[in-house]
Amino acid sequence: MIKATLVMLSVLLFGGCSIKDVQPWEKETLAKDTMKNAAGNTLMTKFENHIYFSKEGSKGGGGVAGGGCGCN
Amino acid sequence: MQLKTKLSILACSLLAASSLSAEDYVSVQFVQYDESDDRASVSSPSIEFSKDFGVDYNLKLGLVADSISGGSPTWFDTTSGASAYSRGEDIHMDDVAYGNVEYDDNRVAGSALFTTRFASRDELAIGVNFSTENDYRARELSAEYLYYLGSSKNQSLSLGLSYQANEVQVECIENEACDANSGASQTMDVDVISAELGFTQILNQDSLAKVSFFYISEDGYLSNPYMNVVRSYNPNSSIVDVVAENKPDKRTAYGATAQYIVAITDTISSNSTYRFYDDDWDIMSHTISSELYYELGKSWILGAGLRYYTQSEAEFYRAGFFGDETYASSDERMRDFDAWGYKVNADYKILPSLSMNVGLNFYDQQDTFNATYYNIGLKYSF
Repeated sequence: MIKATLVMLSVLLFGGCSIKDVQPWEKETLAKDTMKNAAGNTLMTKFENHIYFSKEGSKGGGGVAGGGCGCN
Repeated sequence: MQLKTKLSILACSLLAASSLSAEDYVSVQFVQYDESDDRASVSSPSIEFSKDFGVDYNLKLGLVADSISGGSPTWFDTTSGASAYSRGEDIHMDDVAYGNVEYDDNRVAGSALFTTRFASRDELAIGVNFSTENDYRARELSAEYLYYLGSSKNQSLSLGLSYQANEVQVECIENEACDANSGASQTMDVDVISAELGFTQILNQDSLAKVSFFYISEDGYLSNPYMNVVRSYNPNSSIVDVVAENKPDKRTAYGATAQYIVAITDTISSNSTYRFYDDDWDIMSHTISSELYYELGKSWILGAGLRYYTQSEAEFYRAGFFGDETYASSDERMRDFDAWGYKVNADYKILPSLSMNVGLNFYDQQDTFNATYYNIGLKYSF
């Protein structure tokens, strides 16, 4: 039931896109570093998120982990 | 049948290749960050290590050490010096100024993330994070479960939860046990609970989309211990008080993100994200960012990125003087502003297992400051 609901949600959210049932051996492009945030440079992503956290009034949306003051 | 068998072997090889060789690495990065007008400068070396244990377990460790110095803008009493603790009552307004107060700090932050993959290939990741500064300590425990919705694994649902316990050293509030040098005397707590629900859909061989919804609850001392406000109780008088800012001790925020990643051609891909944020301090923000990558030959990846951010003002923010309002802050992060970010970077594969990256970044926050930062790093895969 949950799965069916989520699949329905997926159709509603991405209904305008052409969704194809991609097989595991067809995911070579999707596995490239260039298909990841900051091309897979997670250290730089963390640094930039800390800048935004320290210098702006809002945060969140990039995962639940992280921390620090950013007082100045 | 033979073709199907070959395809299955190929699929297994690709999966094995991505889970084994792509996951084991050690990377180092150095970032130098400098703001305009003698504001913050940060030197930040960091290291990350990721290792698979078989096909079911992965451990990722990270460490960063920031050296921070410069100036941070706030109100202060000029007769007692340009310090965040240059506060006092019955000060003539001609002796009050808004400007940078100097500071320096060192921050060390570490993280460990252990991921378990089940027979269904669903994943459970447990993480611990810590961060220490001269006057701040954060400890965090997080958990995230990744649930695949079908055997082809083209749809997944993720649920992440975290609890963060922070301790901040604050100048004596009740005028007790004050440290005459640092002003820091009391340890105040800040608890943060975060939750994020995400849904990822592979659209086709070349693109995927992700939406997520997040919730953040903060409880405790949420004021900034270095920020002051000026209170003028009598509009006909030129005598004012310079006192510590006072933000509410609770904040509840929620938001959503939408991300679309697509390989436009065999060598060009783009990654676009929108984030909406809203909280009960009246801050609402919108963030749009986009990155473009170009694979030049087999050794180079060239990238460029653009980010736009806009936020509304907190209900208790004022750039000028306050009266006797309970909540008062002149913290620039609470104001209404726009910001732009630009970046270019290049990644060069020196050897099949060794690559280096360099990047140049620029951040411009409307009417206050801009920052330039560059990064250089190495990544060794094994």
